[in-house]
Amino acid sequence: MRQLARRRASRVAPRVHSTYSWHRGVSLFKMGREHKGGKILQTPSAGAGVRAASLRDLSAGIRGRFVLASIAGSRESERTRKIRGRDPGFRKFLYSMESKQRLAFHSEKGTGMAMQRNFGEVPRKACSFPEPGKPTPLRGCVPSKLVPFSVPIDRGLKFQMGGKEYQGSSSQSSPDPESCPSLFRYITSKSVAGFDVTPSPRGDPAFAEVPEATDDDIQAQTLCTPSLSMPIEMIGPHHAHSISISMPTTPSAFHEEHSKAVLENENGVAYPTGRQTHHPISSTAGLLQQKQAKFHSQPLPIGNSHTNMPPDTKLDHLVRPQQMPRNSRFKDKRYDSFKTWSGKLERQISSLRGKPQEPEEANDSKSTKPEAVPADRFFDALEGPELDKLKASEELVLPEDKKWPFLLRFPVSSFGMCLGVSSQAILWKTLATSPSTSFLHISPTVNLVLWCISLALMGIVSAVYVLKIIFYFEAIRREYYHPIRVNFFFAPWIACLFLAIGMPPSVAATLHAALWYVLMAPIFFLELKIYGQWMSGGQRRLSKVANPSNHLSIVGNFVGALLGASMGLKEGPIFFYAVGLAHYTVLFVTLYQRLPTNETLPRDLHPVFFLFVAAPSVACMAWAKITGDFGYGSKIAYFIALFLYASLAVRINFFRGFRFSLAWWAYTFPMTGAAIATIRYSTDVKNIFTQTLSVALSVISTIAVAALLASTVIHAFVLRDLFANDIAIAISSKMAKSSTKDDGRILASSSDTADVEATVDGHLLPVLSGEPMI
Amino acid sequence: MIRGIQHRWPASSTAIHHLLYKYYDRHFPVKDAKTNISSSPLALLHICMEAAVEVHQIQLQVLKPVAAAAAAAATATGKTLSKFSMLTRFHAGYFRISLSLCGQALLWKTLIEPSIDARALRAVVSRLPSFVFVLLWSLAFLTLLALCFLYVARCVLRFRSVRAEFAHHVGMNYLFAPWISWLLLLQSAPFLRPNTNGYLLLWWLFSLPILALDVKIYGQWFTQGKKFLSTVANPTSQISVIGNLVGARAAAQMGWRESALCLFSLGIAHYLVLFVTLYQRLLGSNSLPAILRPVFFLFFAAPSMASLAWDSISSTFDTPCKMLFFLSLFLFASLVCRPALFRRSMRRFSVAWWAYSFPLSVLALAATEYAQEVKGAVANGLMLILSVLSVVVTLVLMVFTAIKTNDLLPHDDPFMCSFNNMQ
Repeated sequence: MRQLARRRASRVAPRVHSTYSWHRGVSLFKMGREHKGGKILQTPSAGAGVRAASLRDLSAGIRGRFVLASIAGSRESERTRKIRGRDPGFRKFLYSMESKQRLAFHSEKGTGMAMQRNFGEVPRKACSFPEPGKPTPLRGCVPSKLVPFSVPIDRGLKFQMGGKEYQGSSSQSSPDPESCPSLFRYITSKSVAGFDVTPSPRGDPAFAEVPEATDDDIQAQTLCTPSLSMPIEMIGPHHAHSISISMPTTPSAFHEEHSKAVLENENGVAYPTGRQTHHPISSTAGLLQQKQAKFHSQPLPIGNSHTNMPPDTKLDHLVRPQQMPRNSRFKDKRYDSFKTWSGKLERQISSLRGKPQEPEEANDSKSTKPEAVPADRFFDALEGPELDKLKASEELVLPEDKKWPFLLRFPVSSFGMCLGVSSQAILWKTLATSPSTSFLHISPTVNLVLWCISLALMGIVSAVYVLKIIFYFEAIRREYYHPIRVNFFFAPWIACLFLAIGMPPSVAATLHAALWYVLMAPIFFLELKIYGQWMSGGQRRLSKVANPSNHLSIVGNFVGALLGASMGLKEGPIFFYAVGLAHYTVLFVTLYQRLPTNETLPRDLHPVFFLFVAAPSVACMAWAKITGDFGYGSKIAYFIALFLYASLAVRINFFRGFRFSLAWWAYTFPMTGAAIATIRYSTDVKNIFTQTLSVALSVISTIAVAALLASTVIHAFVLRDLFANDIAIAISSKMAKSSTKDDGRILASSSDTADVEATVDGHLLPVLSGEPMI
Repeated sequence: MIRGIQHRWPASSTAIHHLLYKYYDRHFPVKDAKTNISSSPLALLHICMEAAVEVHQIQLQVLKPVAAAAAAAATATGKTLSKFSMLTRFHAGYFRISLSLCGQALLWKTLIEPSIDARALRAVVSRLPSFVFVLLWSLAFLTLLALCFLYVARCVLRFRSVRAEFAHHVGMNYLFAPWISWLLLLQSAPFLRPNTNGYLLLWWLFSLPILALDVKIYGQWFTQGKKFLSTVANPTSQISVIGNLVGARAAAQMGWRESALCLFSLGIAHYLVLFVTLYQRLLGSNSLPAILRPVFFLFFAAPSMASLAWDSISSTFDTPCKMLFFLSLFLFASLVCRPALFRRSMRRFSVAWWAYSFPLSVLALAATEYAQEVKGAVANGLMLILSVLSVVVTLVLMVFTAIKTNDLLPHDDPFMCSFNNMQ
């Protein structure tokens, strides 16, 4: 564990943005280290807010958030005094904050508890606190989990974390920066091997400045009693420079994680940082990294820092940001990780055009090849019913504040539109041809028009998506790994099947059987993949990924069986029907149970639940086609669909207050399917009630589609936010907080222990749900 | 770990937070805050298990005094509010009695039907005067009427208790019981033919509440709310399925095929879900108190009832009916082989004992239909054994109920204290 903590700490690197801030930075660093030792800085008045950055609160991820949030507030001292102790008042405060504003405190479930644990005990000896009048034996010190920070020149305190900024004007007086604690200088000069020897990696002038200044200071100062309040005062706003502490939520994963912190320069122009640090001076950060890499609990021979950390890998990417200012849209490297050829194609095109080709960075491909994102990450990093909102603690790979290229914003769920419209075509075809609805005198032209529209829509959406496959294959890959999005990969094929079913009689009376095989082949292979994942365990076993959108992967079977049976095929439809029924049973039971291990199911009812209706209503039609009459089997499926529809319909107040999403389109086709099934049923059982029901359900589904169409148009052309940034594909593949690993998540790393965790959860369950045990 | 739980159950009340905080205060006080509890996954796991056990203990400790206090309060106020205290202690679980009696009435009606080829029972049945059946039916009817009257009074006077019952994972299911009893009584009525308007009207009257409860409870399972099926599922949940199936059978007998099929498909789909869930033995089935163990018999009542309903819908005792009946028979055998399961509940008489009778009656009914279809010696023997068993059990229960009237409304009913606790 200690080694782990050490390793984690060694990867932390503060980012420093000016010569001044260098001092402050290291003092902050020192503060963090002292806190690690368990001491609390006892500053009487000034900087009480920062004092709250006490002990592991600063060092362990979330707690850092609390601290900083409280610094930002105006009543800092009150709150922060509470933070130190584990007094109930603070816990109450936490609790209230937790419930009131999750964003601000992103306390991530029960931080009150987490506050009371001490993460990573640090040996006293290894991290001795400097006694007054004594030089600090820094040798062998374990650096704490640091808060990487940056100090741009600005006014006001500015804390940025997790995409939220807490800006507060700090009113405490702070001493002159020149009166830095001597201890700090002593540390920097004596203990840092190669601190002033290490050559500047890229000849960066800013890099060269820093060590010199520090060195001068060291020589000028004598060792004196370190003022403990100093580090706090150091970050006061005395210099009309603000401190922007950008906190990557995982101190441990500074290199892997992709900070979205906004680094500000004097002009106030914000550079959203992607994978790289975009400031020239931040090469000092690289230096710090090197320095920290040597901090071990044992004394180290000076000068072997490069054995621990090859400078190439660490420093190279720090240089690249210098090219940022001349970024144009096409030279923007931040999207490269998602591009199929990492922008090579564009370069080739530009060279074809006669433009000079810019030299490629050697490490470009190295840094832009992300690894596969594990399934757990999607649950950890995202929230919302469709797992499409980023948790406040998480960070994106892609820039958050800019609109991404259109293709990156084009999700696979857009095929839901095709589903919705083509199922409407089927509905109107059925209304026009069914004997039970012949009293309505529907013209077949409606079907023709709708079918043409859906064909055109299908063409457009497919074309755009093919372009996305060509240019941003990584985005497709991530969509495929997303536990909910993967189901939408069935949507294009189901939409094609719908088009085939809803084909107007005037266009083609019969279809060739080969079409069915062509359309069912991709569905079959997708099912092999996905059902296999459910069955054979791993990260994506059913109990983990089960959510209503899984129905999309089931419905394909029944739709295929329906089309095949209506085309006159025999064995193929039964095959798909059997496969679909078996897996539908499993999914139905799993979804009904809503296992505690299954976190994806939303607490709020969402249109996604209408997918419950889809499978049985299509299955009843398919079975009727296969057997030739609407028998008991079909009726049972139909009544199940009807009951599910009814039990959703009575919960009308759960359909309010949702953000519009393109995926809603996929949820209209169950309504349409239920309407079609009702028409089919009413041909078998023809009476006033069934006819009324079929008309009513048809009207409801048409209204739903029309309303959705209207809102889509509004969002596309008026609000222009139809294709918002597709957060779900851009999560970082690494855990964002090391502290999360500390308290329990480490258990989830292996699937076996995750099961144990689930068991324990299960035992606690009745307590948490407020249910008395009898 | 605790965090993870809270994440999953963010709606957990403040009380739970307090509980957990208290726990943490006790175990990780300020002075040893530096205890490195996250030093290894094993240690962490240990802590978590400890926490789980601890919470259980806390809960038990909380529950015991509450139960005692409730009992004490009940006895103390019993004299002053004697006429109302009975209402407080009364709950929907008492409809087990009417359920059993109505099941018996239906069984007897089926047995004395001339169309039934009950060779083995013919000798016995023919000797009984016909008024015995009418007597039985009247007894069932009066019992049900009395219970319904009591429950209406409870609804009026003890509405909070009723609401608590509605939220309770066991009590909620017994709200189906009165309607099931009425439907059974309707089917076994000696004077009402199934094709009359009165029958139809009564069917609608008794089926609509079942449908409403379905929408409420099944919808709760799969959409939202705190009632996760994986936590609330317990053997009594099968009563809701039985409700649908009884309604389906009654509808099929009056010729309403589509309504019957609708109710049947509802019942069978949720039976599938329940069956899998109960076999997984998630938390819900473990949270059943030992005194309620007799309700395990409901395991074979549901498939028997399904077989009866499908028999009525398809008009023949066909293969699905037989499959369901054999499943039911197997479950009955596997329960009978485990007398230890019921030992703790048999120490003292309670109304939960009545849960034995109804499933046996339904099983005997299914066996009767099976014997009528198969016409073999084995089938007839099975029918004889099961019918006699169900009659004997019902008689014994009636005797016990008559003798031990004091135990009928105990002061420490596990139901009641849990309801009180919820309030």
